Amino acid sequence: MINSILEMYKLRFAETIVYMLQATEYQIGPYLRWLWRVADFGKVAHRKTLVKTPRSRLLLAFVKIGMTFQVIAALAWGLWSIKNGDPRGIFALDLLISTPIVWAHIVIMPLLLGRFLVANPYSKLQIARSAKIFANHPGVKIAVAGSYGKTTMKEILLTVLGEGKKVAATEANRNVAISHAQFAKQLDGDEDILVIEYGEGAPGDVAKFCRTTKPDIGIITGLAPAHLDKYKTLEAAGKDIFFLAKFLGDKNVYVNEESKSLRSFIKKSHQLYSSSYAASWKIEDIKASIAGVNFKMTKDGTSLRLSSSLLGRHQVGPLAVAAAIARDQGLTDKQIAEGIGKIRPFEHRMQPRDAGGAWIIDDTYNGNIEGMLAGLELLEELPAKRKIYVTPGLVDQGKESSKIHQALGKAIARANPNLVILMQHLITADIVAGINETGFKGQLVLEEDPLNFYTNLDQFVAAGDLVLLQNDWPDNYN
Amino acid sequence: MKTVAVIFGGRSTEHDVSIVTALASIIKPLELTKQYHVEAVYIAKDGSWYWDEKLKDIALYQSSKIEDFLHKAPKTHLLFDNGLTLVKSSQFAGRKMYRKIDLVFPAMHGTHGEDGELMGLLQMANVPYVGCGMSASAVAMDKVLAKQVAEAAGVESNPWIWFYTRDLARHHRQVMNNISNLKYPLFVKPAHLGSSIAISKVEKESELTNALEVAAHYDDKVVVEESVNNLIEVTLPVMGNDEPVPALLEKPAYKPGDYFDWDTKYMQGGKKGKMGNGDVVKGAQGYSQIPAKLPPDLYKKAEQLALSVYRAIGCSGIARVDLLIDSKTEKVYFNEVNPLPGSLYAHNWKAAGVSNVELVTKLVNYAQERWDAQQKIATSFSTNFLKQF
Repeated sequence: MINSILEMYKLRFAETIVYMLQATEYQIGPYLRWLWRVADFGKVAHRKTLVKTPRSRLLLAFVKIGMTFQVIAALAWGLWSIKNGDPRGIFALDLLISTPIVWAHIVIMPLLLGRFLVANPYSKLQIARSAKIFANHPGVKIAVAGSYGKTTMKEILLTVLGEGKKVAATEANRNVAISHAQFAKQLDGDEDILVIEYGEGAPGDVAKFCRTTKPDIGIITGLAPAHLDKYKTLEAAGKDIFFLAKFLGDKNVYVNEESKSLRSFIKKSHQLYSSSYAASWKIEDIKASIAGVNFKMTKDGTSLRLSSSLLGRHQVGPLAVAAAIARDQGLTDKQIAEGIGKIRPFEHRMQPRDAGGAWIIDDTYNGNIEGMLAGLELLEELPAKRKIYVTPGLVDQGKESSKIHQALGKAIARANPNLVILMQHLITADIVAGINETGFKGQLVLEEDPLNFYTNLDQFVAAGDLVLLQNDWPDNYN
Repeated sequence: MKTVAVIFGGRSTEHDVSIVTALASIIKPLELTKQYHVEAVYIAKDGSWYWDEKLKDIALYQSSKIEDFLHKAPKTHLLFDNGLTLVKSSQFAGRKMYRKIDLVFPAMHGTHGEDGELMGLLQMANVPYVGCGMSASAVAMDKVLAKQVAEAAGVESNPWIWFYTRDLARHHRQVMNNISNLKYPLFVKPAHLGSSIAISKVEKESELTNALEVAAHYDDKVVVEESVNNLIEVTLPVMGNDEPVPALLEKPAYKPGDYFDWDTKYMQGGKKGKMGNGDVVKGAQGYSQIPAKLPPDLYKKAEQLALSVYRAIGCSGIARVDLLIDSKTEKVYFNEVNPLPGSLYAHNWKAAGVSNVELVTKLVNYAQERWDAQQKIATSFSTNFLKQF
């Protein structure tokens, strides 16, 4: 306790609070919530440290100067009071002691001012300009929306369509309005196809994105609890995502039917995809292994045999719908097969790694229950001498958190790994309850130091092992 | 939670290898089990004992910091008080710090540690310890005794002779006559050193004297043996007490005509001997082929011979048996036993499906199992001998 209080009076405290702001992407609400629940500031920057950027440097200088000024003022006032026998000098002590607390809060002022006076007006201008660029662009615009699977879908489309067309896609997971505006600025203007990822975070976001980017085709990848602090319910999040379908008049919309939560939003005019069919293509003869998936697509006597190194049967639907769209866009079967073959697992998304004869599947960017369940199905299906499953659970699951984590626990037990390692958090008890409910017979370990575990994972595995790592919580969720 | 003392360093030419074995292959995985409190006990090159948390950091040994540490740190003493207790000065008000040890994990290589000396001390303290016992360690680390025991158990070595170093001067002619009965090329080895230190390959008689002098410089017993034609050198890590379990036969990767000397094993990361094909993996001691590509019958035969030697010498816990194979005649010869393989040969165990954490856990369990069994053996016998005296 004393040590954690003393941490606030160490020189590095200024860096700690700027790190907290950076880790929460300079969002004031999450920063303040984290600040108010921190028990020990010495353990805040556990996994990462402050990345020195112009913004973080400026904030750090602001906090350091401010704190120094307050300390000097408090000392000067205290000394003056002692010299003059002024009893009000006791308040100088308050001023001194309150320095870290005061500046941990004042630090948000430049952010607020910057946001309202500079960033927001600038963003509005950029977004308005980008709307004109998108409107005048001759290419086919494909929007990809959903609570999960967007980035994977976008990358699949980029690789497959890129085999025969000039394609541009939004970068990595830069998927909000200002990112779309920056993407528009970089376009050459002669692209055949634009793939735009929609990163919804609050009600009305998808509507705004549609009005700016004016898509011709929409792909809805899935619905799962995410950003429920803003949406409140899964239904509200679904409505927001399905604005994309509404914008397109419910035509040229492809919906992932394997996402159960999407099913209530599906209309007859929507084209569906899953591991059984994609639009009007039938999918069969799926083979899944640690090397990837292989499947056959048939339609009107035409047959395509496709292989990809993406892991898991749940990837077949997105791959197949990309192939179907590519064919509609005029790509040859050869180009499609080559494009599908070129797709490599994406970083931290069902990404396999050979660790001296053991296979480690890194799915640490998977933060939704549907994706977790798909990964667990793969764990169950793949052969291995020993299977190990590692997860901290999910964040931001709202009121349903307990239910979702119990369901996750049951799915873990169904996959029947030999060893389950849970990173100890508040939700761990719910996962354990789910695991125990199904009579799990393997070994269950609760790990309190995830970073230490991940760093030393190679010490725990041997040839023949299959390890699935799902989701990873950053510092601000600890 | 059990307290495990990992003892490493020591007065041995393999001092530095021991540090790596202790820190990387034993202390780290032991701590990751969260089942043991691990104490690092370091024996300096002068034989002084130290016990400190700081000794778990490899950086300490990679710079001159170790000299400063040894200069300032209090030396550790041992107390045999119904087990083993570490004692050192707290450097505060003349008080002493004590740490009762539940189990010892020796990580010593070579002389004054791997050769049974340390095991004798631990046996006196009646504390469980990992690895081969005192007598097995002493036999295994003496290439002469090991070959004799193996031969008594029906496991042949390639033609060899041995002599005491003192006889090289006193009975020079006799020694040279004995050697002349062997066919060149020969290998000249000190009888007790590991890690291929001071081993020479002698192609012709003119090189012999120099090789004998080098070996004699390091040991009081020297072994001279014929080389094996069409040689395939393999090694097999084994663990267990009464029912030993083999890992995978491993074939060190080096060029034909070369051999796996100290420099190849430790100083070049195996680059000198790298085969350059996809079958090799980088292990604790360079690149190796795991499992060794041998005809299934020959593989089985070599594995069984290694297990026979392990049992004959009385090994327990862990050891590594080296074999020489004539690939044409498919004859398998015993070469030597290493009672505490460098880095526990964790890379091989890993390839055999045993993780580093599992390996140290199993070894601790074997140590406890052996100690429990030993406690059932009577060590006192009531007589009226003293009354009659």
